[in-house]
Amino acid sequence: MKLLLAEDDALLADALSTQLRGAGFQVAHAPNGAVADYLLEREPQDIAVLDLGLPMLDGLSVLQKLRARQPELPVILLTARDSLNDRVAGLQAGADDYVTKPFDFPELLARLQALLRRSQRRQGMASQVGRLSLDEGARRAWVAGESIELSGREWTLLSLLVQQQGKVVTKEQIHAAWSDEAEVGGGNAIEVYVHRLRRKTDRAGVNIRTVRGIGYLLEAEAS
Amino acid sequence: MSLPIAPTPQLQMRPLDGQAGVSLARQLLLWLLLPQLVVWLAGGVASYRLASGYVNQAIDASLLQASKALARQLKPIGNGLLIDFPKAAQDILEADPSDRLLYTVSSPPGQFILGNQSLPLPENFENLPLGEPQFYSGSTPARDAHTPSPQALRIAALRLSLGDGPQPSTMLVQVARSSANREELAQKILVDMLLPMSALVLLLTLLVWAGIRAGLSPLHRLRLQVEGRAPTDLAPLQLASAPRELWSLANALNTLLAAVQSNVNTQKRFIGDAAHQLRTPLAGLKSQTEIALQSVSDPALRVRLERVHESATRSAHLVNQLLTLARAEPESLMAQDRQRFDLARMARLLTAELVPRALKLNMDLGMDEDDGAVAQPVWVEGNELLIREAVSNLIDNALYYAGDGAQITVSVHCTGRRARLCVSDNGPGIPAPERERAMERFVRGTDIGNGCGLGLAIVREIIERHGGTVSLADAIPHGLQVTLDLPLAV
Repeated sequence: MKLLLAEDDALLADALSTQLRGAGFQVAHAPNGAVADYLLEREPQDIAVLDLGLPMLDGLSVLQKLRARQPELPVILLTARDSLNDRVAGLQAGADDYVTKPFDFPELLARLQALLRRSQRRQGMASQVGRLSLDEGARRAWVAGESIELSGREWTLLSLLVQQQGKVVTKEQIHAAWSDEAEVGGGNAIEVYVHRLRRKTDRAGVNIRTVRGIGYLLEAEAS
Repeated sequence: MSLPIAPTPQLQMRPLDGQAGVSLARQLLLWLLLPQLVVWLAGGVASYRLASGYVNQAIDASLLQASKALARQLKPIGNGLLIDFPKAAQDILEADPSDRLLYTVSSPPGQFILGNQSLPLPENFENLPLGEPQFYSGSTPARDAHTPSPQALRIAALRLSLGDGPQPSTMLVQVARSSANREELAQKILVDMLLPMSALVLLLTLLVWAGIRAGLSPLHRLRLQVEGRAPTDLAPLQLASAPRELWSLANALNTLLAAVQSNVNTQKRFIGDAAHQLRTPLAGLKSQTEIALQSVSDPALRVRLERVHESATRSAHLVNQLLTLARAEPESLMAQDRQRFDLARMARLLTAELVPRALKLNMDLGMDEDDGAVAQPVWVEGNELLIREAVSNLIDNALYYAGDGAQITVSVHCTGRRARLCVSDNGPGIPAPERERAMERFVRGTDIGNGCGLGLAIVREIIERHGGTVSLADAIPHGLQVTLDLPLAV
């Protein structure tokens, strides 16, 4: 995975580059906005991490120029400013996610992976958690290489949980994802579908947790 | 540790230095009405004198006429005098018993011939020019039954020649009238003049007072404008139709307001800059120690590094809290957007976001089960980001203090016209006597954990700025329940 990191603070950039390389990314570092813009234009990247307060050309401008060329590239903004206006401006300029400094590296990594999964899903690529693999294009799932039978709603729910693994999927989100899938005899009870999914994935090395009053969370079981 | 941020500027009513002077309206009234009063008094005195002058003239004329008539009744015959003074004429002269006409005829002057009263002689009566009347004041000698006490008199004296003899003798005719009547008349005239004058003064006073009030009303409006505004409203004062004098005062005030506004803006920019300046290096420090921790094998060094990392994490947390607190100050809060939002949905999304951290800490974070029913929105109005920060602080606190395996539950519901959000845990709780102190800045309930002691202070600051309250109570069977009570949006 090729990642562009645009960050002007040398200490932070150095640490982030090291950690990202450790997580398996090929990192290109840009110390200012102009270099970031140049690298983004010349070398194809899989994902970009942009600081908002860059010298020469600020992060928002880099993002706007990038969006004009590549509307699809996943971008995470890093920023020290977290007022509502700053967030809105960043998201309106086309950022996919937003991380406020100082952050925990695992959180940044989780967000990067979530964005990459979403981007892969758009491209019809497979995702994998534990021994569970999903083919977004074919809407099929395998446990340890063995295909499992899933109804439309079961598939949508599982796909949602996998995309957001480690995060809570709310009941609202599930209902919204189901809204264009009428299923006969299924009823509306999410619990029923979750119960069926748990049974079908019991040997997949994943755990679907119930989060009281909110929704569900899929995590890989500790090996 | 000293407080790293400026104390909250408390907007208190502080009296001006020095003492409040006399009211402008009163001063104007005094300076306009005092001269009026003086003029009124002088007018009274002048008109009294004028009136008595006219009254004297009129009385003197009547006295003269009476004395001439009396003189006509006396005809010289040879050496004697013929007195033709019929009773009828006498009655006419003495018609009014309360204002009796007194008369004396003497000839030669000083030698009483006729009269009902001996009247005091004028000065120098021997040389009084013939036929010319002399008027003077005197008083009756107090020996009469009618006039037991001396009575002030106005007297007319007329000296006339008697016959044309070789040695012409003269006679003096004196007619007098009591002065009491005359003074009464003068007083009556005075009263008749002063009454309308006083009414005029009263009317003028009212007019002047109304004029002063009208003239000073822009000042009153200015005061209301300044008094009635929120401490954060720094918009220029609007004075549509103010007199020139006030105009300059309002302009000076507006200049000051603009300067304060610019100060507030600078402070806000400072908050943003401070955020950037502090957060970026802290992020670097945190990341660097994280890497170092991964590669170090020496256990002693590892302990040191863990301390550094913990300290960096705590500093980062503190910076975040301080910035939130600064944003919750009234000056900056009002400048930020207030919008209507669904508190229940916000709480759900926030809780969902914090669940992974709770799982890592082996805690069960969730919301009140609503039996699968569609969650009812709870609309409140305010700065969503700040209220979210407040709730986030409450859950953070619970995660810090509730302890391993604890259950933390967030719930939102409406009661009457209030929205109520509760965060309860089944941890150790806070003893009742320490609860109030727990909401002060930099006071921590316990010494464990990473808290900087700002959490509850921030929560209270934010919630109170939104017209709400924060209360701490015991959870059942044990633990802490923090309740935020906010007004529902209309």
